[in-house]
Amino acid sequence: MRLLLVEDDKDLNRQIAAALVDAGYAVDKAFDGEEGQFLGETEPYDAVVLDLGLPGLDGVSVLTNWRRAGHKMPVLILTARDRWSDKVQGFDAGADDYLAKPFHMEELLARLRALLRRAAGHATSELVSGSVRLDTRSGRVSVDGAVVKLTSHEYRLLSYLMHQSGRVVSRGELTEHLYDQDFDRDSNTIEVFVGRLRKKLGVDLIQTVRGLGYLVEGVGEKAGASG
Amino acid sequence: MQILAGRSIAVRLAVSSLFWSGVVLLVAGLILSTLYLRATERSFDERLLVYANDLAADLVTPTDSGTRDAGSLGDPRFEIPLSGWYWQLGRVDAATRDLRSSRSLLGNPLPTLAPPVADRPFGGIRKESVVGPEDRLLRLIERDIDLGEDGRFVVRVAGPADEISSAVRRFVLALILTFLLLGVGLGVSTLLQIRFGLRPLSDLRGAVSAVRRGEADRISGNYPGDVAPLAEELNLLLEANREILERARTQVGNLAHALKTPLSVIVNEADGPTVELSVRVREQAMLMRVQIEHYLQRARTAALAGTLGSVTDAAPVIEALARTFGKIFQDRDLAIEVSVASGARFRGERQDFEEMVGNLVDNACKWAVSRVRIRVDLGEDGDRNILRVVIEDDGPGLPEGARAVALKRGRRLDETKPGSGLGLSIVVELAGHYGGSLRLGSSRLGGAQAELALPGLGPA
Repeated sequence: MRLLLVEDDKDLNRQIAAALVDAGYAVDKAFDGEEGQFLGETEPYDAVVLDLGLPGLDGVSVLTNWRRAGHKMPVLILTARDRWSDKVQGFDAGADDYLAKPFHMEELLARLRALLRRAAGHATSELVSGSVRLDTRSGRVSVDGAVVKLTSHEYRLLSYLMHQSGRVVSRGELTEHLYDQDFDRDSNTIEVFVGRLRKKLGVDLIQTVRGLGYLVEGVGEKAGASG
Repeated sequence: MQILAGRSIAVRLAVSSLFWSGVVLLVAGLILSTLYLRATERSFDERLLVYANDLAADLVTPTDSGTRDAGSLGDPRFEIPLSGWYWQLGRVDAATRDLRSSRSLLGNPLPTLAPPVADRPFGGIRKESVVGPEDRLLRLIERDIDLGEDGRFVVRVAGPADEISSAVRRFVLALILTFLLLGVGLGVSTLLQIRFGLRPLSDLRGAVSAVRRGEADRISGNYPGDVAPLAEELNLLLEANREILERARTQVGNLAHALKTPLSVIVNEADGPTVELSVRVREQAMLMRVQIEHYLQRARTAALAGTLGSVTDAAPVIEALARTFGKIFQDRDLAIEVSVASGARFRGERQDFEEMVGNLVDNACKWAVSRVRIRVDLGEDGDRNILRVVIEDDGPGLPEGARAVALKRGRRLDETKPGSGLGLSIVVELAGHYGGSLRLGSSRLGGAQAELALPGLGPA
């Protein structure tokens, strides 16, 4: 999952970015409204963490511009202004969630997980495909109940594919959504990681659709309701 | 005028105008009574002179008997003893003092007004007030008559001076009475004029106090040319004051918001391993957060007095809030039902209305199982329109005893639900500023009910 973080405070930006990377996301950072808006318009993000009090273009305008241009990625607004009028304004501009400063990092991560899940159409935090279960909350993956240890790159790949279950995901899309903009995308790492995942979780989980990409099939959720 | 320093303009005007009209009336009275005295004296003197001339004419005109006689003047008062009316006639050049007097004198002499004839030029008329018989004050006129070889005579005629003084006294009495009436009239008209003249000032005072009480946001009304600049200056002052307030409010807001980002950094930095330091830092950071919220709220409500006259349509606000809460709680499958009386309006700022209703709906959504209902209608309390906002949920509800506690600042009934615990107290404080109120009760939906009564307005 690739996220965009727009926050002008350098320390907070660094902290949030570190926490997001720790949680297994690829993160692009922007420090002002213009840069943030440009990245949001040009890169395919799975979600955005957007501070409202930005120098230059403010967050609400950035969000409004995105929505007007048809960008539908989930946006979590982060702001010090937490009157209900501010929140209403943010939600009306197209925000999907709202977090007031100061906040706890776990809260931010939980809200993001929920946003990503909802965007992918899943109702619960646990994604299931055959014997493989992925708990987005704890980041734990198990096969038939046995916990399997994954590296962060492996986890990202699996998580993205399982979020996009039932749909063929191209290698290009995977590259775009798994790595931040500074990553060297020419490498063949995707295939390497798919191979490792198959080794760890069974060859049936990720199918290769020749010429198109990869597919995780038969994915259902714990509740059985797949969106 | 030192004693008047610090008194009201009305008192100053009244006292000074009454003082000066008093002085003017007094001086006028003195002048008038003096003039009257003179005029009365003159006319009295003229009467005496007429008698004196009659006596002189008697001397000059030879009588049938051939003797010069001056006897009766035809006025009986000269016959009544000691009547105050006297005459005396005497020859002054002869050795034999041929002296005759009116009968009323009873032989008493009249005082002379001139030194003996030898010491002065003869002729002329002299008048004076003198003391006559029985120490009675007399007005005396004395005339020298030169008859050539027939001799030189001096005629004296006197009348009672109290006739003059009593006439003057009557006149002065009438004058005092008239001037008293005039003074009272002047005083009354002065007071009326002061009231009328100073009415713009008291109007202005009323307008200023209306601003202070928060019933108006500027001084309005027509003022005469000399007060209008003052009203204009006051309006500018109010404007400047409002700007300062607004700036201070914005700056408090900016400060509070600027503090929150570093506070986030601190909280996150401390969110590592649970060593004592990080626990303490988290604790203190939380306290700071609560303080910031509190003072932010204080700054917001403090500026409410300057935001009069604004009106907010209830329906768009409620709908926007319902939309927002639908998004916030979209995982929970809550049904948020909204019904707003058409045209219902809130007399106040949109932000404050959103803050009050938002906090209440937030609470309702947190506790609700599946339903939240927001109803807005208009009622009346006497001649005031009341906007009633009722928010219900089907959650566990609020026991009677817990309701008062819930309204206190910083109280949270359940620490497991997120929130700073400021919500309800903010609602109470804001509603209080608008003269409204918040009541907690139980809902027919099974959960809690919050009823907000605010100043309202019917359809435009």
